[in-house]
Amino acid sequence: MAAVSAQGGRSGGGGGSSGAGGGPNCGTGSGRSGLLDKWKIDDKPVKIDKWDGSAVKNSLDDSAKKVLLEKYKYVENFGLIDGRLTICTISCFFAIVALIWDYMHPFPESKPVLALCVISYFVMMGILTIYTSYKEKSIFLVAHRKDPTGMDPDDIWQLSSSLKRFDDKYTLKLTFISGRTKQQREAEFTKSIAKFFDHSGTLVMDAYEPEISRLHDSLATERKIK
Amino acid sequence: MLSLDFLDDVRRMNKRQLYYQVLNFGMIVSSALMIWKGLMVITGSESPIVVVLSGSMEPAFHRGDLLFLTNRVEDPIRVGEIVVFRIEGREIPIVHRVLKIHEKQNGHIKFLTKGDNNAVDDRGLYKQGQHWLEKKDVVGRAR
Repeated sequence: MAAVSAQGGRSGGGGGSSGAGGGPNCGTGSGRSGLLDKWKIDDKPVKIDKWDGSAVKNSLDDSAKKVLLEKYKYVENFGLIDGRLTICTISCFFAIVALIWDYMHPFPESKPVLALCVISYFVMMGILTIYTSYKEKSIFLVAHRKDPTGMDPDDIWQLSSSLKRFDDKYTLKLTFISGRTKQQREAEFTKSIAKFFDHSGTLVMDAYEPEISRLHDSLATERKIK
Repeated sequence: MLSLDFLDDVRRMNKRQLYYQVLNFGMIVSSALMIWKGLMVITGSESPIVVVLSGSMEPAFHRGDLLFLTNRVEDPIRVGEIVVFRIEGREIPIVHRVLKIHEKQNGHIKFLTKGDNNAVDDRGLYKQGQHWLEKKDVVGRAR
């Protein structure tokens, strides 16, 4: 059950999708998108329980995502996340098939189908564990910078972070993969989370954003020098 | 509009993250379900783990004990084995010991059961007019 409990702590988080329902309303008074506007709270400052390690990590990750996507206008690539969602969906599908089949044909006849579903389910769990450990590797954002000339392939920026249990040191790593030369460069910083949160648990963007920008610019300028 | 602060986390999530939360919950439920079904397949019994509900098998089993059952149909049922069986028309399985067996040449078996702590055999529990149990009533055996 280790794989399941490891994912349980990650709530995902994401203030980055400001385009979801809020687009320009032409004054026709569409009540539905108005409700969606009120539901989404992208602009409210982030307040979390400062003693909850996973909430802290998630909120820091989300804010880093927000900075990169909104300030530098990169486009998020959902490939990794979609892969994980697909594997989980297929596993649940096997479970549901087993449940329904067993309900329709009571036990002794359903034995071969059940055996197949159970084995497939655990194989999918194994695949999921391998996927999250080796392919995803704590990366929570993959963003593309579309080349303005439209000729060269996109540059890729990857964000990954780690925060140990009961520790206050948060490490954020930014990786830049150049589209043209396929070179990879990374920069990271490790800071105490106390630097970014105030005593009530509100994330202070004014302290956090310069850090992200500094990481970003350190990678961007190197490229220009080369 | 109600401002429910505890929903803030949910409101900040986009579609993918919401879907992932739902999936997470589904996977926890599915894992439990798959382990149960897996046990069913391995032991061959409809109900691989049962709870002892009454004190009719004391001092061997007490109320609240968990029993892990197997149901290998190839093994013949012998006198003295503890079987878990279901009586037609009743939902709840009963855990008692086999007392007598009538066996035909073709392997067809009729058997009578009695709880260790009971004074009389189970004929009072069986269906009206039923005097013997058959293999198909057996849910599993406690070894």
